[in-house]
Order: sequence, then structure tokens, then C-alpha cells
Amino acid sequence: MWKTIIRRVLVMIPQLFVLSLLIFIMAKFMPGDPFTGMITPDTDPARIEELRQEAGFYDPWYQQYFNWIMNAANGDFGKSYTYKVAVADLIGDRALNTLWLSLLSVFLLYLIAIPLGVLAGRYQNSFLDKIVVLYSFISYAIPVFVLALIFLFFFGYKLQWFPTSGTVDIKYDSGTIGYLWSKIYHILLPAITFALLGTTGVIQYLRTEVIDAKSMDYVRTARSKGIPINKVYTKHIFRNSLLPIAAFLGFTITGLLGGSIFIETIFGYPGMGQLFIQSISGRDYSVITALVMLFGFTTLLGSLLSDIIMSIVDPRIRID
Amino acid sequence: MNKKLWTLLALLLAFMLVLGACNNEGDDSPKDNEGTEQGSEDGEEDGEDGGEAVDTSQFPLTVENEGDAMDGGTLKVALVNDSPFQGIFSLVLYEDAYDADIMQFASNAIFATDGDFLLTDEGIASLEVDQDNNKATVKIREGVKWSDGEPLKVEDLMQPYLIIGHKDYTGVRYDADFQNIVGAVEYHDGKADTISGLKKVDETTLEISFKKLSPAIFSGGDGLWSSAEPSHILKDIPVAGLLESDAVRKNIVTLGAFKFDKIVPGESVQFVKNENYWKGAPKLDAVLVKTVPSTSISVALQTGEYHMTANTFSTDKYLEIKDFDNLTILGRKELYYQYIGFKLGKYDMEKSEVVMDPNAKMGDVKLRQAMGYAIDVEQVSEVYYNNLRERATSLIPPVFASFYDDTLEGYSYDVDKANALLDEAGYKDVDGDGLRENKDGKPLEIKFATMSGGDIAEDIASFYLQNWKDVGLNVTLATGRTIEFNSFYDKVQADDPEIDIFMAAWGTGTNPSPSGLYSKTAQYNFSRYTSEKLEELLAAIDSPDAFDPEFRAGKFREWQEYMSENAPIIPTQYRLELRPVNKAVKNYDIDYSSNFDWNEVSLISEDPAKSSK
Repeated sequence: MWKTIIRRVLVMIPQLFVLSLLIFIMAKFMPGDPFTGMITPDTDPARIEELRQEAGFYDPWYQQYFNWIMNAANGDFGKSYTYKVAVADLIGDRALNTLWLSLLSVFLLYLIAIPLGVLAGRYQNSFLDKIVVLYSFISYAIPVFVLALIFLFFFGYKLQWFPTSGTVDIKYDSGTIGYLWSKIYHILLPAITFALLGTTGVIQYLRTEVIDAKSMDYVRTARSKGIPINKVYTKHIFRNSLLPIAAFLGFTITGLLGGSIFIETIFGYPGMGQLFIQSISGRDYSVITALVMLFGFTTLLGSLLSDIIMSIVDPRIRID
Repeated sequence: MNKKLWTLLALLLAFMLVLGACNNEGDDSPKDNEGTEQGSEDGEEDGEDGGEAVDTSQFPLTVENEGDAMDGGTLKVALVNDSPFQGIFSLVLYEDAYDADIMQFASNAIFATDGDFLLTDEGIASLEVDQDNNKATVKIREGVKWSDGEPLKVEDLMQPYLIIGHKDYTGVRYDADFQNIVGAVEYHDGKADTISGLKKVDETTLEISFKKLSPAIFSGGDGLWSSAEPSHILKDIPVAGLLESDAVRKNIVTLGAFKFDKIVPGESVQFVKNENYWKGAPKLDAVLVKTVPSTSISVALQTGEYHMTANTFSTDKYLEIKDFDNLTILGRKELYYQYIGFKLGKYDMEKSEVVMDPNAKMGDVKLRQAMGYAIDVEQVSEVYYNNLRERATSLIPPVFASFYDDTLEGYSYDVDKANALLDEAGYKDVDGDGLRENKDGKPLEIKFATMSGGDIAEDIASFYLQNWKDVGLNVTLATGRTIEFNSFYDKVQADDPEIDIFMAAWGTGTNPSPSGLYSKTAQYNFSRYTSEKLEELLAAIDSPDAFDPEFRAGKFREWQEYMSENAPIIPTQYRLELRPVNKAVKNYDIDYSSNFDWNEVSLISEDPAKSSK
């Protein structure tokens, strides 16, 4: 297995290289550049030209690419044209925000979805099952920004149970208990919104698997051995039903960094999704390329992780 | 098990109730931030009930709220912004307008200005200009202190020049104006250690030598810099590292009524009062500025979360807040005009000048005038902008009261006149298809470029196309659709042959001098129109004679009339900017001509009032 993992990691290198080449060229194809937005009667076009020269935008693309890849290989992804800070620092801050939010979201998601899915499958066609199925259809049908706005309006502004924007209240100093609590408090509402709408897949998979498993031989064997029904569900069926979910776990883990543009924009939460969209519309090349590389890397890593997790959860599966 | 089941059920029911209760919300989806200063169709969604007429007779400039002011208190301010602010808190280095909106509470500006944005003597510094010797003298008031207690020195006035002129400075402010200072180029090229044109006369006086002077210096132009930077802090930081230094990001030393206390990067800024403020300590204890997404700003104001906004409140959302009884909505005209430009030539990059094309499709002035008369701008303002915009008559926004020509009629909607002009010019419908052919009897197709953004950009474009069709002109969208902001400016700047006419906008600065946009050498002269008379007028506006305000105002009027008559570009709309202010706020105004300062603002109550509607 180790051999396979190392091989897979090595294959990532040419994959990432091709990705970097593609994204670099495509980014340059976009009309405009980071300085286009600076056209005002007060800015001197000659100065803007000079800045373009200095930034190397008139060099041939392969030269620009070479400079960039050499720096990137040394861990230097350049400076953001918009934020004027090192790209690594910028992404680092946002990634941390996004990670916190996604972790809580995913935790809540499983917390809601797993019991609902198992119960719905176990009591198939019961009233509870119908409610769960109805809920999962509704949640699948509601666009995330609609629910986000409703929740923000109702729980944030009307009832004032939750903060309405940002990641932390300015009155706390970093490092204190209050600061930490304030951070959690700020991600609670966005995380709940996200979790409530993301459950459909997990619920449906689990429910189907549980229903299928009920008629499996191993369940009948277990029952005939006299194992109590509750134990059969918690020990035997539950584990087997989790398999398809485990298959996606790798992607779920690495996808934590992706962020959600809607949630972030509505809750005024500075995260990765927003940074990505903003860097594209602002033609912030260094940020665009760094982010796509990061997303590409995490996706590759996600598929590897998923395979590893599968082989651990299900000993029948071997990865080579 | 049953118990669990019921809990779940209850939860689900609650969830569904919530859904049912507020299904009137959430109809506008978030949009990405267009954020650029002069995007024409500000890319925002309109109120879908745009047809509702609004009486905009007058928005006040000042809040007049009854009630006794409390001692101290915290002013809660919303910064309407869909992405985190950049957080570069230096007037020399910042680029994003949102950073300026935050900095206003702790401004380092040294000059006060009047209603025409001309410098006055009422600020920290006063200006004297020696026209004959091309020199200006800046004198600072006694006893002005930085927020850290250090006295303001002449070196602090020189610091901004030393930063902008430095070879490691990467911003846009090292421009032709700046190079007008004697010795600036030598300093930039590393041939000198300092700028020779800056001379410290005594402890409170700075003398600046320029290569040439024009009346623009009274608007803060010609290279004069109008803010100070704390040299006792910045002088030890290399310019290359300044942008990332704590001195502009975290621990910022300022001159204004409030000083930076705490910053959560990208999200919020807490100011506390500056006890050293030269006009006297502010009445408020603190100001809290927080980023609020545009999707929820209206509700935030309704529920009394904030006292006011730090930046313009989008006029698109005016209908959402107009009935709230906890707000006074202030309004003023913006330094902005939207226009339709006609491509009349090309920009010669080699020679750096505009070359007009004698055979340009839009070359006939009567055709251009007719296109101006043919469009019903008033109706667009009413239907799409709730009358929060009005038809523009001149290329100088009316805010500049002494320069704006209020006698100009502009191009008001007049189909008969448009038809008459076209007939006169020889654009006749030869083949009887209802569309006019050009003078040679060949089909005439005019390609119109406009920027994308929201639904109304499309609607307005089709409206104007229909207007032109009504007078028999076949105008079509260049590229077949509205064009994304970056591509639009790329094409317009490159004189793309696909574009005959275009609609864009300028957010003008406080210096009204038009030569940067309309002179023969200006790259921003997008319509590529020039003439001897125009050059003469532009030169006269910034000439030595124009140091006489009356002469200058006269030339400004002549220039506006000339541009209106020749119509190389036709101004279409002026825009109103709104500021909703809570009833709990006293002594706030947005009048450019008043000497408003944040130290006077006070609160009636710590908590903003809630709307009963």
C-alpha cells in the first residue's frame, strides 16, 4: 500500500505542472489586468503603463510563467495585486477562516444527517421516514443563498440571537477565551445554514443502504443468533451502510478549504470562496493561480485520501 | 425512541415554519463585487418594482434630529461592502475607496476645502502661491499634534513626497503631476537623495518649487500633496516594506478627530477619540466601523444595528429603506457623470496623441447631436433609477458650483429635432425599410458598446436602441451583448473597430480641470476628438491668466458650451448619492461646502433607533 501511495503522490507532480501551465495561460487570456480598474481621471495612464512594465506583463508568456514557477517552487507565490500582501499570508488567513467554518458545518451536517438517514431507513415508510424524505427534498430544492438570507434576517436581525457579519467581535483580544467563543459564535449560524442544506446526499445514501442491508443474509444470521435488533442496527448495518459515505470522505476533508461564495458573501465572512471570485474579477493573477493550484492539489489529495479511507474501512478493497 | 422522534419532528416543524414565515425575503441574490470606481452601470440589481414613482424633490444635506445629546457614546457605522476591506490606512498608499471611507474618521488631510473643492485656510495648513516664481508655501498651524502626542512638523509634510517619489513606490500616484515638482524625477531615478524642490523654510513652513504652475494647484493639483504622514515613524521603514508594515496596517498614527484603536483585518475597525485633536476632542467616545454585506444593509439599518453608513448607500436599494421611520436619508449630487462617447479617431501610441479620422462613421456633428436628442434619458432615470439620477447637461458635475454652466440645456428628448437634424445632414431612408442609410445611400449600422451588470444594463441598452430606431437609426450592440467591465475598457482604450459609440462614466476627482480627459495628448480622451479651439480652451483653463477665478470660470463655461455643441461625447446622467442616518445622530451633514468635522457629531442615544415599519 505504501508503494501505491508514494506512486500516486509522484504522479501528482506532472498533473499539477500541467494544471499550472493551463491556469497560467488562461488567466493571461482574460481581458484586462489588475490595473484596468485603476482608470480614473486622477490616474496618469503613463504611470499605469510603467507599472505594467514593472510587473512584467509585456514579457512573453513563457518567460512570465518561468519566473512564476521558479518562485513558486521556492514557496514564493508573489504578492496580491489587490491586497498588497504576500499571497501565502493572504490565503493563509482566509483558509483558516474557511477551515473553521467548514469543520463545524461538516460536523453539524453529519450530526443531523446520520441519525436521520439511519432512522428513516430503519423505519421505512413510517411517518418519520416520510418527514425525513420530505425534509431532504425541501433542503435539496432550496438554494443556499435563500435560506442564508432568511436565517440572517430572522435569527440575526429580528431575534438578534446571532452576530450578523464578520468572524469575531472587535472587543475581544486574540488569545482570550472570549475571543475563541466569539469566533465560534460567529460561525454558528452560517454553519447551521450550510449543514441543514447539505444533508440530502448523506441521508439518501444511508437510508437506501440501511433498507438494502435489512434484507441481507448477514443481518438474518445475526438476528437468528439472537442478537438484539438494536445491536444489529448499531453494530452491523450501520457500519456497512457508511461505506458509500466513507468513499467521499477524502473529498469532504480536502473540500473543506473550498469555501462557499454564497455563505461567505451573505454573512460577511472572509473566506476562500469569496477570495477566489474576487481575485478573478479583479484579475489578481498571483492569487488566482495560487488558489487554483491549491484547489487542484487538494482535489488530487482528496481522491487519494478517499481510496486510503476505503481500504481501511472495507478490507475487501485493496489499492494497487 | 419516541422521545427522540418527537424532538426531531419539532425541529423539522420549526424549520418549516421559518421557511413559511419569511418567504418574502431573499429575492435578490448576492453579486460579486464590481468595486471599480468608474464602472458605468454600477453592476447592481435594481429594485424590481422600479416603476414606482418617488418624490425626490429634496433630500436634506443635514440631519436635524431633536433631543438632548448624551455624553460620549459609540457611533456604530456600517461599511457597505461585499468583500473584506484591504486595510491600507495611508492616504499615500491606499487604492481601494473603502479604505478611504474608513480613514475619514482619522484623516491625515492637512487642507480644508470649500464647496468647489478649492483649498481654504481653515485646515491644519494654509497655502500661499507665488505665481511668478512657480513656488508654493505651505504653513502649518501651531500646536497640531499626532495622535501619539508628537507635534506635527514640516518633515511630516515632506514625508508623502519622499514616499511617492521613491523608486520602490509601486502605486499610481507617481504621475505627470508629481513629476512637476522640481527634483522629483531625479529623486525617483536615484540621482538625488531627496527632492530638491522641497525646502524647509522654518519649523512650520515648507516651500515647494514647481516646474510650472496652474490654477489647478488650488484644487490640490499640479503635484501638491494634501496630507501628512508621521515621519517620526515612517522615516525608518524602507519604502519597499511600507505596504506590509504595521505603521499602515495596524498601529496607525493620525491627525484626525479619532484615532485607530483596534482592527480586525478586513472586517471592522474601532476608533477612539483623539484627545490631541487640534479642533478640540470629539464629543463621541468611539466609532465602530463594521463591514456589512449589501444584501443585508437595509435590514441592518431598519433594526437599528447601525447609526449610519460610512460610504454611499446604493440608490438601487432606496425603495427598501424609504419608509423606515428611524432614518433620515441625506442626499447630495455625486462627482460623477455618465456619458455616450462617439469614436472619432484613434490614439497614436508612438506620438502619444489623438489622431482624428476625417471619415469616421460618427464624424458628422449633426448625426451625433441627433443621437443625443433621440434618447429619452429622463424616462430612464424615472423608470430604472427611481429618479435618483437626472439628465446631465454638461461635462462638469453641478457640484462644482462656480465652474458648472447652468445655462446649458444639454440634449433633452426631442424626436422631431433629431429627425430634422438627420434629414438635414443627408441621412435619408433610401430603400424604404424604415431605417436611414448613410449619405452615400449605403446601409448605416452603428455599433454601441455598453457595460454589463445586473438586469438593468441590458434593459437600458435596449431602451436606447429603440429610441434610436424611432428616429430611423440602426444601432446594434457591439459584440452582440453587453460587455464585461475589463473587456469594455480594453476595447474602448484600444479603439476597437467594433465600437462606434459607447456608454461609460467618469467619477471625477475634486480637481475639475478637464485636460486629463479631453486634451490631444490624453489617453483617456476615449472619443479621440480634438480641435484647435478645444486645445486653446483647455490651455486657457489652466493658464497663468486663469489664476483670476473669473477668467477661469468663464473659460470653463466656454469649454462646456463648446463640447456640448460639438458633441464628441454627450453627458447622459448625473447621479445622486444617499446616506441614511439614524434619528439618534446629531450634527452630521454631507454638504461639501460646510466645514463638517467628525468631532462635532454627537448621539441622542447609545443604541440606534429601530424602525416601527
